[in-house]
Amino acid sequence: MKHASWLVAVGLFATSLDAQGVMVAPHAVYIDHRVRSGSVLLYNPGTEPVEVTISTFFGYPVTDSTGTIMLRTVEAPDSTQPSALAWVQAFPRRLTVAPLERQTVRLLGRPPAALADGEYWLRLVIAAKGGQVPVTGIPDSSGIQVGLTLEVRTVIGVAYRKGAVSTGVALSNVRAQLKGDTLFTWGRLERRGNAAFVGVVRGTLVDSTRAVRASFTSPLGVYFTMEPRIAVVVGRLPRGRYWLRYEVAAEREDLDPAVVLKAPTVRDSVQLVVP
Amino acid sequence: MTRCGWLVIGMTLLCALTPSVGHGQVLTVTGAHNLTFGTVLPGVSSVISRTDPANAGRFNIFSDQQGNQIRMTFTLPAAMIGPAGAQMPLVFGAADAGFSATQNINGQVAFDPRTPFNQALPNNGRCSVFLGGRANPATNQRAGAYAGTITLTVTVLQ
Repeated sequence: MKHASWLVAVGLFATSLDAQGVMVAPHAVYIDHRVRSGSVLLYNPGTEPVEVTISTFFGYPVTDSTGTIMLRTVEAPDSTQPSALAWVQAFPRRLTVAPLERQTVRLLGRPPAALADGEYWLRLVIAAKGGQVPVTGIPDSSGIQVGLTLEVRTVIGVAYRKGAVSTGVALSNVRAQLKGDTLFTWGRLERRGNAAFVGVVRGTLVDSTRAVRASFTSPLGVYFTMEPRIAVVVGRLPRGRYWLRYEVAAEREDLDPAVVLKAPTVRDSVQLVVP
Repeated sequence: MTRCGWLVIGMTLLCALTPSVGHGQVLTVTGAHNLTFGTVLPGVSSVISRTDPANAGRFNIFSDQQGNQIRMTFTLPAAMIGPAGAQMPLVFGAADAGFSATQNINGQVAFDPRTPFNQALPNNGRCSVFLGGRANPATNQRAGAYAGTITLTVTVLQ
């Protein structure tokens, strides 16, 4: 990782030492069938021990009718779902991370023998709770003291890959709408292949002279089909014609290039008129 | 500890952690400040604003994944539990949570803590979530210590 990022992270810890929670790294785990294991590092930046509980469930990002990304969870995924929930286990499932210490959670895959090539998913929940937190509040004549403790849960994705995996995305129905100073965009994304598409959406708004008026980059994962809404503040645009150039590329700066599956970049554009 | 001391610790961590983690992907969510209701009197509601620096609940989020979408979901108790199971109702309103991309308590965008809230991580990877609320003690509220837990779930949407 970039060393600068670590320095930023350490700087943050130094000013938040009373915090309850853990650093989780990485935020996406990829397990290769040939190795069948992965790991997640937990680090406690605080001054008190943190109790951590690990759990798993099956879910994947989808979009609702407005284009907001949400996580669809399936409590009991059947054999038609690419779920690794039943056979990827985390160890340990309960642990205490001492102040300024790190611990590793191991993920071990025990897939069925006849598992077909492809990518299988689950979500890992890291629930962190501080130690005994004193009840706060000022005692008064009523003798009532009140305190609310904060707990944090971090949910990250785990992907288990076996054999030949491929991905891609089909793009259609690109739309754009200006509301006030904000540009809203949508595009229908349908995954191809047998693995989730992990990449970015890039948008560029150009005017009739081809001058760039705004641009955005939004990382996303397409597991099945989604129509994400992406909003970007573009300011007040003068009257005229504009074009939104919209492309979806299998590129991610934040992930190890080895885990980002290659796929063709897809593009489309749509015209907007500011009356 | 002095700044120099923290720098030494930081550099040690830098060296120790980098080989293990590999390529980026750090996400830290911490509860930085408990939601604190000051003096609570029987029959008198106690309201804490999300912009109250001394008493609002605060969560800090840090990641090196700028631009990544995260989904924040609160699990809020309906009441705090006290002696012998006594309960003190809690109420959270539609604007009782706030998101700050600058971690400034005075620069929040309000949201409803009762429903999930999506946000892209800001360019520096740091942001904060603030929470206020209302405690409604009854006129005959039993004396003693009342406690509860507020949970913030942060889901990486990729």
